Amino acid sequence: MRLRTNSLGDLERVVMDTLWSHGPDLSVRDVMEHMHGSGKKELAYTTVMTVLDRLAKKSIAQRTRDGRAWRYTAAASREELAATALRSTLDNVQADRRLAMMHFLDDASPGEIDDLRAALVEVERRHG
Amino acid sequence: MAGALVTAALIVGALLLTLVAPHALARWERLRTVPAQGLFLWQSVSLAGVAFALSAAPVAAATLGTDYPRLLLAALILSGLMLARLLWSGHTVGTELRRMRAEHRALVDLVGERLPLAEDGDAPSPAPAARHGKVSVLPQADPTAYCLPGRRDRIVLSRAALDRLGDEELGAVLAHEHAHLRQRHDLVLELFQVLHEAVPEPVRAGSALAEVRLLGELLADRGAARRVGAATVGRALVALVTPGSARQVRRRLAALAADPAPAWLRHGLPVLSSAVLALPVVLLALALWGS
Repeated sequence: MRLRTNSLGDLERVVMDTLWSHGPDLSVRDVMEHMHGSGKKELAYTTVMTVLDRLAKKSIAQRTRDGRAWRYTAAASREELAATALRSTLDNVQADRRLAMMHFLDDASPGEIDDLRAALVEVERRHG
Repeated sequence: MAGALVTAALIVGALLLTLVAPHALARWERLRTVPAQGLFLWQSVSLAGVAFALSAAPVAAATLGTDYPRLLLAALILSGLMLARLLWSGHTVGTELRRMRAEHRALVDLVGERLPLAEDGDAPSPAPAARHGKVSVLPQADPTAYCLPGRRDRIVLSRAALDRLGDEELGAVLAHEHAHLRQRHDLVLELFQVLHEAVPEPVRAGSALAEVRLLGELLADRGAARRVGAATVGRALVALVTPGSARQVRRRLAALAADPAPAWLRHGLPVLSSAVLALPVVLLALALWGS
């Protein structure tokens, strides 16, 4: 069971890589061709379709109808998605909202950076 | 008579340990020189506080008889409510934390690149910690490094962090995160989060939570310093500093440069912590024996 989820995760990753580098508006067939072209082992049409369907359900990919088939596009760029990921850790770590607020107000002045460098010199002197 | 005394002691103890001690301990900066013992003391104080608070009413009921039935009933209901609140907090914090981590891990696996260091097995890697566990790199311009604990743990670095770190400093960062994962600091912090949220909002000690988090970082810094040296850990900390983290980094550098803690503190604190943990047990035994 665990192996299966892992490999599905890996498949989602490969398919998203394809959407990011060759999108937008790729059909299942397009995705398969690009994946095959990049030297990956060939996957069944239904497998790729299932993965794309899952990605669309999770809103990581968007799809538009094109005749009888769907065309898929990444819902956000890789960078945007990574930014979402980082924001959620920030909320996670700083459950206390006041702490999070302080982070925005608390800008490091040049004096503070000098202070840090001096502190580092002290660490190096003791452990160098 | 013993029952009344023990009940009074339990109530006073509960108030001291849950309301006063967190503020006092948060201000006791010396604990930063002994983070492991410090965290043990924090845990002992917190758990003893819970034991005191929950047992006061039952002990009163068992030993004082029923001269004031209404007062006793109110006290028992209060205990019940406290227990319910604690369990509820444990449930919500635990499930929420795991849900967020699972979501986050899925996202990291989707957008992150595997750190190549983790895969070359033969070459003498500058970052031995990278061989264990998965390290993902997110395409981000803010320097960050953190870990996602759990059964399928991950270490996550941003691209900016990787660019700012030399090989040795990268080894220090990975050793730091690896210490978090190996020693399961997340579970310790989860306990404090649960207790924090179980207390009514006006009396929560935000400084206490910040301080135990700092102790967790200091403990991981020590683990990393044992592997790669304190100077390398310090350089890595400075390399990754952001406006928001400057103050915390300053404290961690100070801890790295500090003299080793004196023996009485290193050995005395665990004794003190054990005594604090034993206190509710002793009081309960007294109450039962006296009645």
